[in-house]
Amino acid sequence: MITPESSMPSAASRRRFLALSAGALATTALAAAGCSAPEKASASAKPASSGGKELTKIGLDYPFTQLPLYSTLVKLSTAEAKKHGSSLITTSDNANADTQASNLNTWIAQKVPAIVSFPMVFEAMEAVAQRAMEAGLIWVTYGGSLEHQSADIQFSFRAGGTQLGEAAAKWAEESLGGKGKVAFLTDSTIELGRERTKGMVEAFTKAAPGVDVVAQEQAIDPDTGLSKAKAILAKHPDLNIVLGITDAAAYGAYKALQQTGRARDDAKTFVGGQDGSAPSLLAIKQGTFYRASAALAPNDLAAAIVDVPLAVAAGKANPSAQVPINLVQRGDTARIDDLLAQNA
Amino acid sequence: MTTADRFLTRPRVLATGGLTTLRRQPLLVVLAVMVVAFQLSTDSFLDPANLGGIATDAATLAIVAVPLALLVISGYLDLSVGSTFALGGLVAGWLATNGHTPAVAVLGALAAGAAVGVVNGVLCCHLGLSPFIVTLGMLTAIRGLAQQLFPLPLSGFGSGFAWLGGARIAGIAAPVVVAALVLIAGALFLALTPTGRHVFAIGVNREAAHLSGINIRRTPFALFVATGAAAALAGTIKASVLDSVVAGTSGSGFELAVLTAVLIGGVALTGGSGSILGVLLGVLFLGGLQNGLTLLSVPTFWQQMAQGTALVAGAALAYFAPRPGR
Repeated sequence: MITPESSMPSAASRRRFLALSAGALATTALAAAGCSAPEKASASAKPASSGGKELTKIGLDYPFTQLPLYSTLVKLSTAEAKKHGSSLITTSDNANADTQASNLNTWIAQKVPAIVSFPMVFEAMEAVAQRAMEAGLIWVTYGGSLEHQSADIQFSFRAGGTQLGEAAAKWAEESLGGKGKVAFLTDSTIELGRERTKGMVEAFTKAAPGVDVVAQEQAIDPDTGLSKAKAILAKHPDLNIVLGITDAAAYGAYKALQQTGRARDDAKTFVGGQDGSAPSLLAIKQGTFYRASAALAPNDLAAAIVDVPLAVAAGKANPSAQVPINLVQRGDTARIDDLLAQNA
Repeated sequence: MTTADRFLTRPRVLATGGLTTLRRQPLLVVLAVMVVAFQLSTDSFLDPANLGGIATDAATLAIVAVPLALLVISGYLDLSVGSTFALGGLVAGWLATNGHTPAVAVLGALAAGAAVGVVNGVLCCHLGLSPFIVTLGMLTAIRGLAQQLFPLPLSGFGSGFAWLGGARIAGIAAPVVVAALVLIAGALFLALTPTGRHVFAIGVNREAAHLSGINIRRTPFALFVATGAAAALAGTIKASVLDSVVAGTSGSGFELAVLTAVLIGGVALTGGSGSILGVLLGVLFLGGLQNGLTLLSVPTFWQQMAQGTALVAGAALAYFAPRPGR
């Protein structure tokens, strides 16, 4: 027989669970505090024998924690920092501009001596950067420039899109006689996406005016790239070119084209993306119709993340860095292998 | 006769009490109007290739929507399905790339998903914690675990694993066949089995169901496990379709899409009401709307507005639709 006592969740077991949970949480919090107790700023930025300051801690604020590049950058930057006797700490912004601002304010209050930040919204980050500078901290802007900063790590969002658009247009001229159909997988939600989109669309349409633009759809991940490309293909089964603002979205389109029966090495099809992500690089290397990716080298970025704040601390002139972005295409085997090794 | 007795003695099947399916499922009319409108304005909406694409895309949604609908009908909720979706795809992909057979990869994913369901079930059904809080926490925790375990994208799973997402069975895409089986199983379970009737009874009034002799913890617990396993299976299918999976983005926002399909299909968030036919309509409506707006090249932000408006309209329709006892 079932009784209320035996079947309804017991209050005693709940209390036991809550007590255990509270204990576990407290232990976790204490352990975490022990593992990452903040050092005093004075201990993190010591005078160097050469006259400048020696940094023992660098904060990397990279908001797009969901991207594979995040893990790669953290791993490589941590190793790079260690080489210079520094430690690297990171934020967890979860691609949220409000969370990013909040985390950075915490670092400023903690007096983290050097902050390398990739602003999700550049205009909104100006006040935060100003506060950091006023607090005597080093502020390095990643991916652009702010008015208040010690230095920056520049790479052009637009340049990657432009290189991809130009390469696809050149291919269209050579392989399709300047005719055909193109679909763009774009992003209009953040500055990086808008700039990449602008570079890609403008460069392509300028260099291949005879190719019909049949769609411009928002897609940054493979699932969306797949479903959007399927819908576009239903209306335009003779679609020739898909260009994505991310490799992930373009890879979804690549699979959609394959699933409609397009041969992997179809001579009349071009898919290209941006980022240099591993699945796309492998597809390019294998000689498929995934033909190009505008890629940044993670090693170059990681080196800049550490070297630029160190250069500022050492009082060097022109401490900023310009990280090149290169288009990787079929035949660039050595370059692809190098990028894949960096991403491994 | 108590409310629970009423549900125990009369399964809520597709058309009862003199109401036609059409009146009970106003979304069917909306869906028909939408299909006609999209076909007239695009000329390609009803192309077999496009319908196949919609069905394949909607399949993963349907596979998770069915057990989630049963869970919601029983008065619970699982918001962790998006991360479980990613975890399932990652576990299966990792096993496939490390030399295991596709069957082992699928079983591994199902086990991982079921394990998430066990945790949710124990915390919500046995310890009585809030399903909203627990599964919201699990959504974040499982995503973090997935990113920690698999920080880099996985790809190149091999032709055997690709069968799951790319094969055709009697001319129908394998994911659609799997989704159809899940839908049929869910409908039969709900309409024809005593446990299916218990789902309604627990959702209507947990205490009354308990006093009627129903084990009010076991059935929802099993549904949590089923939902976790289904989410992992859906993630595995998507990983197979894409031949790649990324921990940070796979299944991102999936929980809201599934919940939207369930609610727009007439399942009451308060529990005790809903049908698998409604869930199917909700899934098809969402998939068709997304596809049609893309075919029409509607700008991104207008698409978002249209989808949000459709959700509100669908919810209103479901609310005002005639239901037994109202």
